[in-house]
Amino acid sequence: MPLVSDLPLPLPLQTVWLIPLYGFSGMVLSLPWATGWIKRNGPRPAAYLNLLVTLLAVVHGSLVIREVLQLGPQHLTFPWFQADDLRLEIGFDLSLTNLAALELVTFMSLVCQVFGLGYLDKEWSLARFYGLVGFFEGAMSGVVLSSSLFMSYFLLEMLTLSTYLLVGFWYAQPLVVTAARDAFLTKRVGDVLLLMGVVALSAWAGSMEFNDLYAWSAQANLPPLAANLLGLGLIAGPMGKCAQFPMHLWLDEAMEGPNPASILRNSVVVTCGAVVLLKLMPLLQAAPLATTVLLAVGAISAVGGALVAIAQVDLKRAFSYSTTSYLGLVFIAIALQQPGIALLMLFAHGLAKALLFMSVGSIIATTNCQDLTELGGLGGRMPATTLAYLVGGAGLVGLLPLGCFWCYGLIVEAIRPAAPLLAGVFILTNLLTALNLTRVFRSVFLGAPTPKTRRAPEVNWLMATPMVSLSVIVLLLPWIMQRLDPVPGINSFSLPAALAVAGSGAAGVAAGTLVHLDQFWSRSRQKTVRLVQDLLAFDFYTPAIYRATIVAFVAALANFASWFDRAVVNGLVNGIGRASLISAEGLKLGVSGQMQTYVLTAVVAIVLLLSAMQWWFS
Amino acid sequence: MLSLLLLIPLLGAIGLGLWPGNPEPAAIRRAAIALLVVQLLASLRVLLAFDPEVGGMQLQEGLSWLSSLGLEYRLGIDGLSLPLVLVNAALCLVAAIASRDVQARPRLYFSLLLVISGAVNGAFLAENLLLFFLFYELELIPLWLLISVWGGANRAYAATKFLIFTAVSGVLILGAFLGLAFATGSVDFSLTPVAAGQLSMGSQLVLLVALLIGFGIKIPLFPFHTWLPDAHTEASTPVSVLLAGVLLKLGTYGLLRFCMGLFPEAWAQLAPGLAIWAAISVLFGSLAAIAQRDMKRMVAYSSVGHMGYVLLAAAAATPVSLLGAVFQMVSHGLISALLFLLVGAVYRCTGTRDLEVLRGLLNPERGLPLTGSLMIVGVMASAGLPGMAGFISEFLVFRGSISVFPLATLLSMVGSGLTAVYFLLLVNRAFFGRLAITPRDPMGSPLDIRLPAIQLLDQGPSLALALSVVLIGLWPASLGTIAEAATTGMALLPQLVAAIPAGGVG
Repeated sequence: MPLVSDLPLPLPLQTVWLIPLYGFSGMVLSLPWATGWIKRNGPRPAAYLNLLVTLLAVVHGSLVIREVLQLGPQHLTFPWFQADDLRLEIGFDLSLTNLAALELVTFMSLVCQVFGLGYLDKEWSLARFYGLVGFFEGAMSGVVLSSSLFMSYFLLEMLTLSTYLLVGFWYAQPLVVTAARDAFLTKRVGDVLLLMGVVALSAWAGSMEFNDLYAWSAQANLPPLAANLLGLGLIAGPMGKCAQFPMHLWLDEAMEGPNPASILRNSVVVTCGAVVLLKLMPLLQAAPLATTVLLAVGAISAVGGALVAIAQVDLKRAFSYSTTSYLGLVFIAIALQQPGIALLMLFAHGLAKALLFMSVGSIIATTNCQDLTELGGLGGRMPATTLAYLVGGAGLVGLLPLGCFWCYGLIVEAIRPAAPLLAGVFILTNLLTALNLTRVFRSVFLGAPTPKTRRAPEVNWLMATPMVSLSVIVLLLPWIMQRLDPVPGINSFSLPAALAVAGSGAAGVAAGTLVHLDQFWSRSRQKTVRLVQDLLAFDFYTPAIYRATIVAFVAALANFASWFDRAVVNGLVNGIGRASLISAEGLKLGVSGQMQTYVLTAVVAIVLLLSAMQWWFS
Repeated sequence: MLSLLLLIPLLGAIGLGLWPGNPEPAAIRRAAIALLVVQLLASLRVLLAFDPEVGGMQLQEGLSWLSSLGLEYRLGIDGLSLPLVLVNAALCLVAAIASRDVQARPRLYFSLLLVISGAVNGAFLAENLLLFFLFYELELIPLWLLISVWGGANRAYAATKFLIFTAVSGVLILGAFLGLAFATGSVDFSLTPVAAGQLSMGSQLVLLVALLIGFGIKIPLFPFHTWLPDAHTEASTPVSVLLAGVLLKLGTYGLLRFCMGLFPEAWAQLAPGLAIWAAISVLFGSLAAIAQRDMKRMVAYSSVGHMGYVLLAAAAATPVSLLGAVFQMVSHGLISALLFLLVGAVYRCTGTRDLEVLRGLLNPERGLPLTGSLMIVGVMASAGLPGMAGFISEFLVFRGSISVFPLATLLSMVGSGLTAVYFLLLVNRAFFGRLAITPRDPMGSPLDIRLPAIQLLDQGPSLALALSVVLIGLWPASLGTIAEAATTGMALLPQLVAAIPAGGVG
């Protein structure tokens, strides 16, 4: 049902609801292989089917973009459920930014699925992996297109579920079990808080369409307390999704999952969370507390994540913390009302980080090792991987004129007058990220070969092709950004800002080059250094703090409830039962069998009864 | 048409009970399944004849029975009872299919099953208070027998506890109904709301509290829930399916139909307290579930939590929240039945339900992969993940209640978050990890085990339940259209009753 024009919409637009369904249908199509109904010839057909539907999604998305470029943004809604004053709709907001995000999601999904064919070559449950990725992709493409808060929530929760299942893909390993649990529960905390906000908004504002909500919030006069609580509830969901402090620990643990899923998780899943936050931002105008919290959380995540990343010895974790850090920067940009720059940053970070993770995946696939202290000397042996790492890293750091450099320049220029301290956060994060990338590069690609890297051929073409293609795209990113251009001119910042960014990047690279790396003493012997190193390596002891506080609290409450149930509630019931049994037993012994006793008892009772009635009625 | 829903199972029960000779258990099971399929078809015919636009009772039929006592045989159906009748038909069929292992006294077992099905139908359809009470009590004895004859090791204790609790509940309900007759001075036991002009608010409150405690035992709500975990642990799988899926719904149905329907004004007075009670029940049930080691007890405590949502929705009494209550009743029926079936399958294959003992059941070739996958669907539905029935139910309940009782609703939402905690623990402990059954005794334990594969046919009921859970979750309008007219009507009841001039009800 088009709202804008009277003419029938072109077919790609009318059928836009199919785009999320492509991913979901991939899941259904994988079922025969995933459940083991079809065992002959292995699970590959499921992967091919998923690739096919994802390709369809990419092509359909491009067709929609072409139409939207001609017709302008479109808004489509389909009724889903209605009861009394509650109206829930499936809405698609076909703006260019949403569609660009959609293309990012579907394209990255396609690339990762090709990469996964090579990475998970001998995996026996390949079909299950592709089914889950299809589910993942369907939910993500729905989230970015959604025009209603309800639908966004709906799909975000589906993302939580599919993250849980993807992280738990190798469920027989103990670390995977805890990682999947933490991923689900951390996100679930955010989701329940978000649900509180969604339910409250639904009751107060009526409609769940973002546009109606914006109109409502502009003229609603909520008491400040309610508005602030509402704002905090709404930002909790994206905070969990984007792995921001203090809900960040799941992303690091999620690195136990298969690498192709990690590529998606670190690039596009977090982007989905940020896109939802972008859509929520106009609702937070009346909630200054929520904006402050966003800024604080973003700044802590940015610097904290970058610091923690430097102390990691695990190849994947070193970069997952960097994702937390970059999304913190995006949060700051969103909170400071810079949606265009935030989008550019998401875009540039998503592609560069995905490339970095592909390179990491290639290293892991070749060496079966992700411990930095056991790697080295890969530079000459794996040229495509090295190139991908360098391009990805350059795209992430503000030094060479690739994607993130322009974003850093724009944001520093934009916020420097109002919030110089936060501009400093950007500069510092850039420096720390450059340090981290350089340090990892030295450990992995330079130096003498180790036993694990001595025989390290380049990866097969299934992994190399997507990696090289993505390298080219990251190199072309500034040009694409100029085409997209959500802000007037991506180079509209002054020389000092550019110099600050490039200088911090160069300083980071220099520091990373100079920092002492020791494979055997990766944990320092100097006490103070070791203290700091442990603090960062163990992520500020966040898991331990959680175990000691919230987990212990809930466990204690649960044990108390269980004890109360057994001892007090059940004990009372059993006590009553026992008391009646005992009294019956006692009465049994009181039976004498003498006629006189019975008559006497009866007479006494009658006298008492009569006198009581006499007294009562007189 | 409605009488058929009583006649098929009750006459079928007599027929099965009188089956001559020494029949095979499988033959009786097939006969019971056939009867229940016929009952399901009859229920579907009622669904086709049902007009969703009408808010009040439909398809009414009646016979004069003992008019001097006020006992009339009057049946009717509306949007509140129809979904429950359908759930009853479906779950009784599931229970009969799942009763493959019954070898002892099959005649008695299956006729008791049919009696329960008929009695529950009767309770949902009765339009007369005394008739409802008869059916309410009629369902009690067969269930007691089903637990105490075919139950687990500690069945005598559990069955007696169940019997005493439910009998007290019945006495309170009957007392309230009779008290209503005495207080109003008429033996009209029809479903007419009581207005303030007929009965003082004080007496209304006394009667309502009696009814509330009566149904609160059956639902069950904290602190009257203690019979439920014991009954579930000792009952066999099909009986647990019936108990959780159908019989608990008698309590919530009574809450909506009689507590709210008879005393709308007194209900509105008590509502704030009831909302707090609901939140306490939700939180207590969820917290107690976290600490459980027995999978079945965990699912049982989750029922305590999830039934609290119905009380919350009923207390708020807005059109959306009441619709949510109906959704929650249906989805809890389907989801908890699914969970009990799966726990039963695990128990049959491994001989234990202890979460400290079971590990890695999701193992593809040697474990229970399909059971595990369905379990993930079930627990996610129960935890309120979108795309499944639990989410839309909880969303409607919360959305309808938050503007009336914000604090109680937010607390209940915390309970919904806790559901994810305990069910995730269940899946993580029992299904993830390396396949092992008895790690507590590393010396004598068979770590290298191969569990017997479950036939796909045996998984049929679970698959069907999982599909229906997803169907309602994705297409809630299917259930919504049936129930909406009735729940909207109920939400307007207090205003209607208040509008009646004092003493004007005939």
